[in-house]
Amino acid sequence: MNDGGETNDRMRLQIAAALVVSGIILYVPANILPVMTMTVVGDDEPLTVMGGVQELYDSGLWPIAGIVFLASIVVPFAKLASLSYLLLTHGSQKWQRQRGTLRHIVHTVGSWSMVDIFLLSILVAVGQLGILASVQAEPGCIFFAAVLVCTLFASECYQARLIWKTPKTLPT
Amino acid sequence: MSKLVQANELRWVACPECDASCKDHPLPPKSFLRCIRCGTLVKKAADSISLQRAWALAVTGLFFAVLANSYPILTFDVAGNTQSNLVVTGIFGLVDQGYWPIALLVFFAGIAGPALHLASVSYVLTGCCLRVRLPGVRRALAFSESMESWNLAPVYLVATIVAVVKLDMLGTVNWQQGTWWILALSLCSLLTVQFFNRDLVERRLEELE
Repeated sequence: MNDGGETNDRMRLQIAAALVVSGIILYVPANILPVMTMTVVGDDEPLTVMGGVQELYDSGLWPIAGIVFLASIVVPFAKLASLSYLLLTHGSQKWQRQRGTLRHIVHTVGSWSMVDIFLLSILVAVGQLGILASVQAEPGCIFFAAVLVCTLFASECYQARLIWKTPKTLPT
Repeated sequence: MSKLVQANELRWVACPECDASCKDHPLPPKSFLRCIRCGTLVKKAADSISLQRAWALAVTGLFFAVLANSYPILTFDVAGNTQSNLVVTGIFGLVDQGYWPIALLVFFAGIAGPALHLASVSYVLTGCCLRVRLPGVRRALAFSESMESWNLAPVYLVATIVAVVKLDMLGTVNWQQGTWWILALSLCSLLTVQFFNRDLVERRLEELE
């Protein structure tokens, strides 16, 4: 796994960069479009990711709202920002150890944005009570999931050992 | 004489994170070897109990995974109409609404990920603990590592809690025993990862080959 040649490494770098750029583009519709519509007794309510957080916050449950806010707004954004930073500073010999730690954090915390996708699946399953209450998934969730998958694979692609490659060993 | 023995025992291990060569030396109990370059934990002192612990936890976790998927997690009640759901109900619901990519993602991360991770870990550790050579054990080890980040049972548990809070605004919502099994599965998964000593597994596999 770790003995890939130079071309292999350059390929990894390019794939990671492509995934991060796609992630940044998809991040916009993911946050603008509604992720789901909740209908309760005839009352339609399309919700964006932020809208869902707002709703939780308004109901006075700010610890839960905080968790969802962190997992579905802050984590994807921080992931895209950190990965861009790592890719832009690739080859530099400054702060290598800190960059390694940053990559490690991105890799472990990243999957927590799945909370929103799981939540959607649970709500869709339970909200099948006809006109009384129903939950319908909306196109925003596809974009949201796409951002997630992009960042997950990007951090998988940009292995920690690449941070320690100097320009001499890896011509860019 | 003892110096000579030590010199013979000296070998190099690659850091799993940054690939630097670290000087290996016999570790006293409960101590660690950290990478000099990036600070990652390279290996822990060998204690034979940790593999058995991880084995027990992985097998138990696998058992909980079956239970977590066969009992309802929540029941939701609006004006006398009740609906209960399993993990798979959500996946079918999403497929019905035409969102099969999301359904696939939920299936992979919520059902397949934890089960495959724990199954591959159990397989590898069964070989290590019983000291038998199982076919394809190296491949299973590599597979378990790639599945580790897809074992999202703890994340599903948090999503369940958030779902209860959301649904509570709309009707009556009740926990069902499926949630407890997901909790048990999450704990087993987290502890398995904690006790899984990769270096020890590698050495055990080398001995068996």
